[in-house]
Amino acid sequence: MLHELLSLLTKDPLNEVAAGAEAKEPLIRSELAPLPDLPPGINGELHPIQRMMSDLRRALAKPMNQRKWAMVIDLRKCTGCNGCNIACVTENKLPPGITYRPVLTETRGTYPNVTRRFIPRPCMQCERPPCVDVCPVKATWKREDGIVIIDYDKCIGCRYCIVACPYASRAFDSGFFYSDYGGGERQPYEKLPSPEYFENRVRVENTSPIGNVRKCHFCIHRIEQGELPACTVSCFGHATYFGDMNDPQSLVSELISQPNVMLLKEELGTKPQVFYLV
Amino acid sequence: MKTAEKILWAIALVGLVIGLFGLFNRISGGHLVAAYNTYVPWGLWIAVYVTMIGISVGAFLVASLAYGFSVKAVQGIGQLSLLVALAALVGGLVAVWVDLGHPARLLSLFFSTSPTSVMGWMAWFYALYGIILVVMLYLSYKQPESRLLRWLGWFGLPFLIVFGGAEGSLFGVVSARSLWESGLTPILFLAEGAFSGVALVLFLSVLFGNQEPLPFLRRLTIAFLLAVVVLELAEYLTILYANIPAKISSLQLVLFGPFWWVFWVFHIGLGLLLPLILLGAFKENAVALAVGSILAAFMSLTTKLNLVIPALVVPEFEGLSSAYVGPGLDLNYFPTPTEWLVSVFVVSLAAVLFLTGKRVLVPKGN
Repeated sequence: MLHELLSLLTKDPLNEVAAGAEAKEPLIRSELAPLPDLPPGINGELHPIQRMMSDLRRALAKPMNQRKWAMVIDLRKCTGCNGCNIACVTENKLPPGITYRPVLTETRGTYPNVTRRFIPRPCMQCERPPCVDVCPVKATWKREDGIVIIDYDKCIGCRYCIVACPYASRAFDSGFFYSDYGGGERQPYEKLPSPEYFENRVRVENTSPIGNVRKCHFCIHRIEQGELPACTVSCFGHATYFGDMNDPQSLVSELISQPNVMLLKEELGTKPQVFYLV
Repeated sequence: MKTAEKILWAIALVGLVIGLFGLFNRISGGHLVAAYNTYVPWGLWIAVYVTMIGISVGAFLVASLAYGFSVKAVQGIGQLSLLVALAALVGGLVAVWVDLGHPARLLSLFFSTSPTSVMGWMAWFYALYGIILVVMLYLSYKQPESRLLRWLGWFGLPFLIVFGGAEGSLFGVVSARSLWESGLTPILFLAEGAFSGVALVLFLSVLFGNQEPLPFLRRLTIAFLLAVVVLELAEYLTILYANIPAKISSLQLVLFGPFWWVFWVFHIGLGLLLPLILLGAFKENAVALAVGSILAAFMSLTTKLNLVIPALVVPEFEGLSSAYVGPGLDLNYFPTPTEWLVSVFVVSLAAVLFLTGKRVLVPKGN
């Protein structure tokens, strides 16, 4: 409540910065790639990837403040293959020790009555993100479409947001490189630019994002171009769904309306935008 | 120069030189030379920072009593207390500055302050507090009878409660860390800060042969020591009884984890029990007073270590530590040699600042 009162005392800092951030993103919607031609499902319904891409492009046609991105993860389908994890690392050119989507393994019971489940954990893109409130320099904020992002050039690396995130969704980029372990030259794959936030940064010593906090951003650079996030499109079991929960016709809206939906640490009141089907 | 002062100078200068190696390492090696990481994002430097701010708060309390409230017993050490407060503040801020991922962006704390962040507010509090200290020091030197000095001393006390409390709120408001999230956290910070800061002023008064304030400072230190005991008991016993998993797992680490000796030996034994015995039973013995008070001041680091680290090493989810492996994904935090050396540098820097200030400002016999 206090932060809401404080926000009222000033201009709304979140929207203020979000407006500035929007100008930073070159939207290339006119050049969207055609939808892939995928085989229909068993009952003749659209392939989930095709349907989600259609949902996504319909959402992109609306103003940003009218769409609300959400992710749904079906824990019954997740095999714990870590394909999403690797896709995330590859897509965002992440250094060693950083992934935006680890897959947690939970084991219950004792042998022989043992069960196991896998919980992929992207950023929850909370509706009330505790990480945003604590940032002392307004370097992280929630966009109008619900995605919480970081301005690498503003972040001072105090790591208060990591401390405040109850989901361990933020990581500190200390500056490790894969080639450190061989003790040799930087490898070509380490010199590739990361598409994060459309900034195409090449990671070099003593320069952002090294020294910054990093996090999952639902692959904004992909979704703004009509593509699904890397984790969603790479999930071979189709356990991850992505779309606009403000659109009642979208697949994610359909899934979220089911009664078997679970949120992580719901009691904290952060209102995650990542929903789990159990 | 008295022998005690010479010894202090020697220790401080040696510490500064040794610590420079750590600082050089930090500058040349970036954050790879430190053990804090994604899972344990804050470590020794943050503990040193909050410890020194606490000491500053306690020392300023003495100055506030001297100048604002004309407490006769401490009027002779007002300037000395102000110097301790300023030196500890500078040291603490240097500790947190080197901890930043991008230290060069420090000024954005002022130019782009977020009104919803306690840390954002603290940047301004530190600035205001620093200005108050410098102005008071100047006035105490040039115009000791000035009304502004008296007014600042008076204003300093409520400001100190807000400032010291806000420092604790930095931790207390974080709902993600159950061990911190408590209304008692800011109060505990105030009490611990007052305890350690007053104890350090007591130690320096003994060292520099100021007899007059000793009985008052001794009683004040014991009073804050008892306050710390009561508050800690209240907090810990409540957690133990309530048995909330997230809270209890952190507290169990404090009490019975691999670093149990930090709590039982350094905090309870050397930080509370021994000072209580030495200050309580040997009130006329200068050595006992000096040992008791310096232990109380320095062991306050253990309370901050036990606050910062155990709350962070408990993973947010089962299976988090094995979900993805790599550098920076480690829940077993122990400070690296560089972190220790930088901490030595910071404390030595504060000591050198204090000693320099004392030579320049504080008249002989004060």
